[in-house]
Amino acid sequence: MPAPQYGSRIVGAIAMASIAAITISGCSGGGGGQGGGGSDDPIVIGISLPLTGDFSEPGKGVERGYEAWRDIVNENGGLLGRQVELKILDDQSNSDRVVSDYESLIAQDGVDLVFGPFSTRLVVPSARVAQEYGMLFVEPAGAAAEVFEQGFDNLFYAAPAVANDHYNNLADYLLALPAEDRPETAAVASMDDPFAQGTAYGLRDKLEAGGVEVLVNEVYPPNTTDFSTIAAKIAQADADIVIGGTQYQDAVNLIIALQQLDYQPELAAFSTAPTNPEFAAAIGDATEGILAPTGYSPQSEFESNVEFVEKYTEMHGNPPSEDEANAYTTGQVVAAAVEAVGCAEQGECQQELIDWLRDNTVDTVVGPLSWDETGKPTGAHLIQQWIGGEILIVLPEDVKEADFLFPKPAW
Amino acid sequence: MSASLLLQAVILGVLLGGLYALLAAGLTLYFGIMRVVMIAHAAFLVLAAYLAWWINREMGIDPLLSLVVTVPLFFVIGVLIQRLLVSRLKPLTLTMMSVLLTFAVALVIEGGLGFLFTGTQRRIPLSYASDSLNLFGAQVPVVKLIAFGLAALSLALLFLLLKYTRFGQALRATIQHPEAARLVGINTDRVAGYGFGLGLATAAIGGTALSLDATIYPSLHWHWIGPLMAIIVVGGLGSIPGAAIAALVLGVAQSLLQLPMGPTWAQTVFYIALFLTLMFRPQGFFGGRLAKRF
Repeated sequence: MPAPQYGSRIVGAIAMASIAAITISGCSGGGGGQGGGGSDDPIVIGISLPLTGDFSEPGKGVERGYEAWRDIVNENGGLLGRQVELKILDDQSNSDRVVSDYESLIAQDGVDLVFGPFSTRLVVPSARVAQEYGMLFVEPAGAAAEVFEQGFDNLFYAAPAVANDHYNNLADYLLALPAEDRPETAAVASMDDPFAQGTAYGLRDKLEAGGVEVLVNEVYPPNTTDFSTIAAKIAQADADIVIGGTQYQDAVNLIIALQQLDYQPELAAFSTAPTNPEFAAAIGDATEGILAPTGYSPQSEFESNVEFVEKYTEMHGNPPSEDEANAYTTGQVVAAAVEAVGCAEQGECQQELIDWLRDNTVDTVVGPLSWDETGKPTGAHLIQQWIGGEILIVLPEDVKEADFLFPKPAW
Repeated sequence: MSASLLLQAVILGVLLGGLYALLAAGLTLYFGIMRVVMIAHAAFLVLAAYLAWWINREMGIDPLLSLVVTVPLFFVIGVLIQRLLVSRLKPLTLTMMSVLLTFAVALVIEGGLGFLFTGTQRRIPLSYASDSLNLFGAQVPVVKLIAFGLAALSLALLFLLLKYTRFGQALRATIQHPEAARLVGINTDRVAGYGFGLGLATAAIGGTALSLDATIYPSLHWHWIGPLMAIIVVGGLGSIPGAAIAALVLGVAQSLLQLPMGPTWAQTVFYIALFLTLMFRPQGFFGGRLAKRF
């Protein structure tokens, strides 16, 4: 009697499926109403990070920042009196993986809150998932213009400025110089990456508008490992200044390739890499005069930063860098909203958190942050320069740790 | 475009091509000996680069000295991989299954490196990293010159070994006709094992040459395996001279094409060359028929 058997199997399967569906929606929707919190259950925060693959270096930094935030929050009694738990998945730097990670974190695991991943290429697809589920999405590393052009109403970038504005202090300084001191020509090389291009082109366009001629304008794919020909082009053009829209290994390889060709620019500005703790050792300490914009300095005196640097240094033996700080800032921003609104769960609570962040300023380790309606922060970055084996803030004038060296000494 | 920039690009292209030739040599050797597609070759290159970096960090000695350890070590690993893993595959599906097997080996190496050394990107700090020699107004970076020298030396030694020693003759006989080789008394299993070890020994040298002028991280090998595969197909599978010529031609082409086209399009030269080869000359441009190598 096969027929009834099949029939009961189908019924059974449907029953299983509906039980599963109820369980899943129960997980994620449960406690959606007011007063659902307040239990002693930990607040679970879902995160996907590139722990392996192309972005593993900054991805691990972001992970350390999130974990330091969790430890410090839990030490101080948690959020709303509840302990905080992180659920971190590895997306292997892959934008398909990051989407499925956030879907499973939100829908299946029913996490109470989500934090963003690293890099614009992963932030945009994951923010879209968070938007579909109505989740607040504060992210530590999606600074390119396109992040804010997608019409997200749930996204906030937890740093002082977007990529295009990183070099604003430097551009203002250079264009304010008397005409005979101002650089006349520039060479630009950037990774084909929205963040890296954003930083480099922000500076390039401002200088170009101020009369600087761009002699070389190269774009290379993220997997480029050989920079000798790009360097040859830049060295041959012998531009006054060189601007690199870089992440890490590309900056190191490009700088060494430029040094091998004996190119001595008056100014060398590279995003991200020069603030990395490995940087000086990687290029054999030939760092003199290299510039980088930074949203964060461990020396800065913001109130929460002192505690962060002290505890982080205790945990890891070295002070935090920008990736860790931006991750920590993400935690602080979400925590401020959660404490103010008084809830942390999926459902209506998320919209209340979003609304609160729209109208308020949050004090963080990178200073007070506020956002426009696209989630874009409204500050500018510090400019740091390698001087005598240390990276020091040189611009803007009012917070500088050392005088800006221009033209830079030979490297 | 000035003449000096052109000269500079040609010099850099030749140096790059020499490195490509060394990195591809082992790959073509495995295929020649056993019809094995060795996806893990680039992973072994990165492994050797990591060993050079690690030895340099722990003992402060020049990465070139790490060759004393890594070359014999990789030879032994190669023999073991051939005897314990590859020789267990069914002859009928060997080529196809070797892709899966060595893919797995590559993942194990990548995972192991990530586990031991983390994903942090490393570079060996060398006092001569940014030194260069001046040649007719063009700069020749010292580290690239050393890598090129290593490549030329190893390829020459490999060629002499295969051409003029009894082992080389046995290996070539095994490549040309395994059954006939067995008939004349060659232990083809042992020869194939040593051949595989030889291929991996070139990976030790190639990885060390790479580590002089590259920033390394565990997943770096995926960026290398594609171009290297293209090189050995264009050069004629199994032919070491073919791979060397193809590597030089493609290296110079990539370097020169970067001038007008930029880096993004220039790297497609490998795949365009691969497509053209498969369309018009599937046996490769610089080798003869597979069975008549060296």
